[in-house]
Amino acid sequence: MMPSDWRDHDWQLIHTSPQDPALHMALDDVLTHEVGAGHRSPTLRIWEWASSAVVIGRFQSLRNEVDMAAAQRHGIEVVRRISGGGAMFIEPGNTITYSLYAPKSLVHGMSFQQAYAYLDTWVLEALGELGIKAWYQPLNDITSEGGKIAGAAQVHRGNAVLHHVTMAYDIDANKMLDVLRIGREKLSDKGTLSAAKRVDPLRSQTGLPREDVITQMIATFKRLHGLTDSELGNDELRRAEALAKERFSSVQWLTDVP
Amino acid sequence: MHSMKGMQTAASMHGEYKVPGGKLVVIDLNVRDGRLANVRLSGDFFLEPDSALQTINATLEDQPSDIGEMALTLALHKALGPDVLMYGISPEAVTVAVHRALHEGGTT
Repeated sequence: MMPSDWRDHDWQLIHTSPQDPALHMALDDVLTHEVGAGHRSPTLRIWEWASSAVVIGRFQSLRNEVDMAAAQRHGIEVVRRISGGGAMFIEPGNTITYSLYAPKSLVHGMSFQQAYAYLDTWVLEALGELGIKAWYQPLNDITSEGGKIAGAAQVHRGNAVLHHVTMAYDIDANKMLDVLRIGREKLSDKGTLSAAKRVDPLRSQTGLPREDVITQMIATFKRLHGLTDSELGNDELRRAEALAKERFSSVQWLTDVP
Repeated sequence: MHSMKGMQTAASMHGEYKVPGGKLVVIDLNVRDGRLANVRLSGDFFLEPDSALQTINATLEDQPSDIGEMALTLALHKALGPDVLMYGISPEAVTVAVHRALHEGGTT
């Protein structure tokens, strides 16, 4: 495989109206496959959330991570994604989530650690333009002097790599701690036992509306790598909707790691 | 409460290991007749293909509970082979979590 550069690809932007959590899981699956198969150009997708959700990692124990009774009480949907990594607590308007569907050639020869940082270089630059000094903290976090800003995860499929990131824009820490079970062992090397204090969201750091942060991110990506407005294909959406229903909404998938 | 009827036997021993510079590796298991049973690995690590999770669980299942750490790590290396991608987790880390479940872990 020949290594490629960002500018070797015709990057497409997908930024649609809000969608359900299970459909987001399915779109990541379908679009990674489409880019890997060469049916779609490399794509940046910015997510908009139709409802609150807890998104757990592919290998996380549902029971160990989520208080299901609390989730139901708050009306929060719990879904399992296709990538590893940790649980994310999402409320519409409180996070900025995006996916990159990139050809593997873009990260050819890189270690995982290098590939995570490389695929988010544009984000660090966008944050810098917003006045936030942020950097990559291996393995998969974007952090700042105030605390963690975002977590990333990758999955490889065929000739494509999915790199998706959830950034905290604002956060209801009490609700998050009510729903997520955050163990002490996990925090043992983080220097603090307070999960809420580990996150310093973009809202307090930028003072900007969420939409303005997203606009800046898109502008930075476009300037660095090029970016063309695009839409989901009818076939892509149809397949994702079927997969959302059959797989990502199923109890079997959710409890695959009970 | 969410139904957990899929699980016949709740695992009673629990071990966690936060890999330094890596991710959280969790093992739940029982010991039956001196052997590991109902072994379940979980955590916020990265593992590809995802079927490798079952490979690890199956490799740990039925191992003698007094197996040495080196022997267990070797068994995991052998079962996973060179093509499985691991980030934030390793056979060595799984062995530590198993050891913790066996020697420190009660019901959580």
